[in-house]
Amino acid sequence: MEGAEFAGAWIAASLRATTPLLFALLGETLVQRTAVINLGVEGQMLVGACAGFAAASAFGDPWLALLVGGMTGLALSLVHAGLCLGAGANQIGSGIAVWMLGLGLTSFFGRAYVGAKIEGFGPLVRDADTGVPLLDQILSQLTVTTLIAVALVPIIGLWLFRSRTGLRWRAVGESFETARALGLKPWLVQVQAIMVGGFLAGVGGAVLSVDYTETWAQDMTKGAGLVAVALVIAARWNPFLALPVALLFGGSEAAVLRLQAQGIDVSSYLLATTPYLICILVVWISYVRIRGSGGMPAELSRIFG
Amino acid sequence: MQRLLAPGLALLFFVVLASGFLVIIGQPPVATMLDLAVYAFGDAYSISESLVKATPILFCALAVILPARLGLISVGADGQLYLGALVGTGVVLAMPGAPILVLLPAMLVGGAIGGAGLALVAGGLRARFGVNETITTLLLNYVAVLLVNFVVYGPWKDPANLGWPATIPFPDGATVPGLFGTRAHAGLILAVLIAVVLHIVFARGRVGLRLRVLRDNERVGRMAGLSFAHMVLLTMGIGGAIAGIAGIIETSAIQGRLQPGISLGYGLTGFLVAWLSGHSFLRAIPLAILIGGLIAAGDTLQLFAKVPASSVTVLLGLLFASMLAAAGIARKRAGAG
Repeated sequence: MEGAEFAGAWIAASLRATTPLLFALLGETLVQRTAVINLGVEGQMLVGACAGFAAASAFGDPWLALLVGGMTGLALSLVHAGLCLGAGANQIGSGIAVWMLGLGLTSFFGRAYVGAKIEGFGPLVRDADTGVPLLDQILSQLTVTTLIAVALVPIIGLWLFRSRTGLRWRAVGESFETARALGLKPWLVQVQAIMVGGFLAGVGGAVLSVDYTETWAQDMTKGAGLVAVALVIAARWNPFLALPVALLFGGSEAAVLRLQAQGIDVSSYLLATTPYLICILVVWISYVRIRGSGGMPAELSRIFG
Repeated sequence: MQRLLAPGLALLFFVVLASGFLVIIGQPPVATMLDLAVYAFGDAYSISESLVKATPILFCALAVILPARLGLISVGADGQLYLGALVGTGVVLAMPGAPILVLLPAMLVGGAIGGAGLALVAGGLRARFGVNETITTLLLNYVAVLLVNFVVYGPWKDPANLGWPATIPFPDGATVPGLFGTRAHAGLILAVLIAVVLHIVFARGRVGLRLRVLRDNERVGRMAGLSFAHMVLLTMGIGGAIAGIAGIIETSAIQGRLQPGISLGYGLTGFLVAWLSGHSFLRAIPLAILIGGLIAAGDTLQLFAKVPASSVTVLLGLLFASMLAAAGIARKRAGAG
């Protein structure tokens, strides 16, 4: 394989591995911006992956599958909203309850779909021939979901930092008191954020099962949702930084797969620890650099030190 | 009355939600719940199987409760369990012929070191750099599971297994003794003992008070000469050691060799038990047995009624959600009243 082709294949593989995570990461960034932390992202991704796969298998339409996955993730996120905002429950505990529910429900209802086959999106351009090998590789491997995820980065970023509603959401995260003085109901904004986060996590899950792996397996997210919660910190609650940070994780995952395919003499299980270790490393570095609560929404730092 | 509000509400919520779920999956709710109770504690065999499941759950719950007394939320019992199993197995493989009086204690110490080692990664990052321990413990779980996979598929695989990923069977000298000829084993006694000792230490000694002072106000604690960082390392380390012991005991007494899938979500279930108990070492004992019973009953239900055992995971999630909702509502009422 030529250098450019190799680079193109690796870039494409990294972007593909990053895509499900990026949806969840953008969603959780918005959630944490309103001073809510939701470890249930893991469960929401799982239900999104399972329901999305079921929809793809029943209707054969991957677009519908993403929608179904998103709505299922949203539905599960309402449990978190109800527990934290309705009942005033501990947010970490509630997130883990949501995770357990997602894990249990998808193990139960997902059995029927283990080993089933579905039709995904397919590459952006089949047999791309632009004359640029690097571009050919990328175009013929990427699918439309990556484009959507990458496009969402500036959309959500600009919305959060430039729009009036975005300002309101940030105000809630910084100070409930100020938000109330502005005539806002913090809980209402938080519910909205949790729902958007649930929808995006569900879509991310559906992208994973319907588009990336084109299979359903029990507990297939393998911590991607928890990684998303962690990487929000590394991305400093900034949607624009979500893409490079997510690429660190997705890129290392793609590199691991590539190294295995090359048949290098290191256990695939040892290699597979790399993305998690990199995730811990970047979170560590960001804690060292922001020492104290720099960048963290002030109201969030009260519940999550 | 006030004290019974939260548990009462939690039970009510749970029964309603669980019934709803059972109806959705086409099972008669009342009959199924009665079946579960009988499968869990109906006869001597069921009870012994429930105790088998309760043992690692109790260890893992204790591993969560101890750091929680300092206000830390560790969700890493599963990973600590796996690393304890790994290091403990390493000790066994290093001296398989040693007499039981040497090997068994050495193996348990190995398990404790493995669990503590992983917990101290998260504890050290928290103590030194303030890195949130919930996130690191969660991520380290996946690392520990992969490390166990690495050794059992790789260097420690017994060639006699014909490709099945597992170490050699543990020798008699490394087998935790069983109880009354059942699969229940001495691990349960050790877990209960640790719970009681921790309870006494916290009830009588000054440790409990120190942790509470640090949890509520670190600055006051510092002025009293207490170090938050030291206490983080201490509680995380001992907690990890307890979960690590769970791992090596489960490997020795139940599996008989190290192989993938030692834990069936015991870490997360232990987390649930820790919260249900209100982070009480003593209350965790009956609760672990109760939840262990539910999980064991789920296996029997799968066998007899063809209801997948994963239905129990859903029930556990519903139980957790019910408890959190009830506790929150009770707190709100207490605050308002």
